[in-house]
Amino acid sequence: MSTSTPDGREADPRSATDTGGRAETGTADPQEALALLRAERTRTSRALQPDARLLYGVWGLAWLVGFVALWTATTGRGPLVLPGAVAETTFGLLLAAALVVTTVHVARRSAGVRGASARQGAMYGWAWFLGFGLYFAVMASAADAGASAGLLGVLAPALAGLVVGLLYLSGGAMWQDRTMYTLGAWVLVASAADALAGFPTNQLVMGLLGGGGFLVAAVVLHLRGRSA
Amino acid sequence: MTADPQQRLEPRRARPQEATHPTADAAPDLDPVIHAPARLRLVASLAALDDDDRIAFPRLQKLQGLTAGNLGAHLRKLEDAGYVAVEKTHRGRTPTTYVALTRRGRQALEDHTAALRALLEPVTARVSSLAAVGGTHHVHDTGEDS
Repeated sequence: MSTSTPDGREADPRSATDTGGRAETGTADPQEALALLRAERTRTSRALQPDARLLYGVWGLAWLVGFVALWTATTGRGPLVLPGAVAETTFGLLLAAALVVTTVHVARRSAGVRGASARQGAMYGWAWFLGFGLYFAVMASAADAGASAGLLGVLAPALAGLVVGLLYLSGGAMWQDRTMYTLGAWVLVASAADALAGFPTNQLVMGLLGGGGFLVAAVVLHLRGRSA
Repeated sequence: MTADPQQRLEPRRARPQEATHPTADAAPDLDPVIHAPARLRLVASLAALDDDDRIAFPRLQKLQGLTAGNLGAHLRKLEDAGYVAVEKTHRGRTPTTYVALTRRGRQALEDHTAALRALLEPVTARVSSLAAVGGTHHVHDTGEDS
């Protein structure tokens, strides 16, 4: 196949060799034809779906490192004590980086696909936007009303956990993704534990349980050999 | 979606090989439109999309590693058979083509898969599975895994 194309333009060298190798021998044998069908189907769905390992990995890392950094800055304990402003900036940059990685990755994987799944994805994306719009509104209003640093410190991670947890639950239900659903449930439990721990221990709880939960999910998916 | 004559001929060139192959002779159910290797991959790839989804031509081209002309020629064959729906729209000024497997195309792929599986089952196994002996599972597994 690939040898007969006049200009020899190949977008993906890996699949080009696949074509060349299988094209002549492949469908002669029913077994190979079936294997080819299965492999191609799997390859395509993987190419079109976001790799959850990457997404859980970047958010897990951002939460774990970010919250632990905040906790060390607040309490003066831990392996590396950062000044408050540095810890906050670090956390902000980590969250921004995770957001950029997620947006770019999802946009790339879903590029060129139209229809029900694209509409689902867009609706789900707006749910995040609206959820965190409300989050920032509540936080700003609480600060304006003179909430103490302790109260704000409890509210911020717990409210974020509420939004994230519920959206993971609904995403897991919509896509019938058990790992995502379990992670959503876990984030809600971790956020409850976080809120009950009180400021500033809650920062450590959120980093270890929340961030750790995402990282465990990423590792579990990786070991299962799935990128769904 | 332009194809030069050389590319148009390509799927036909593959046919004599298939016809002379012993298993192909024994299997009248194998769909020649799907059975050509490049189109087998193409249909399998399109089947990975959800029922209601379409994919843009350039993205599909990248996934398949085919030239635009080559992909266009294969798609035309599939469209002629009613297996693929090709929709041309405009995104702003740029014309975009979206491709999807039709219900008929999905059915054809299922039938084709079933025909391939049937080829793998030894005749004796087929007889025993018809007689509804308890070994059906075992027979099926052999066909799927090996």
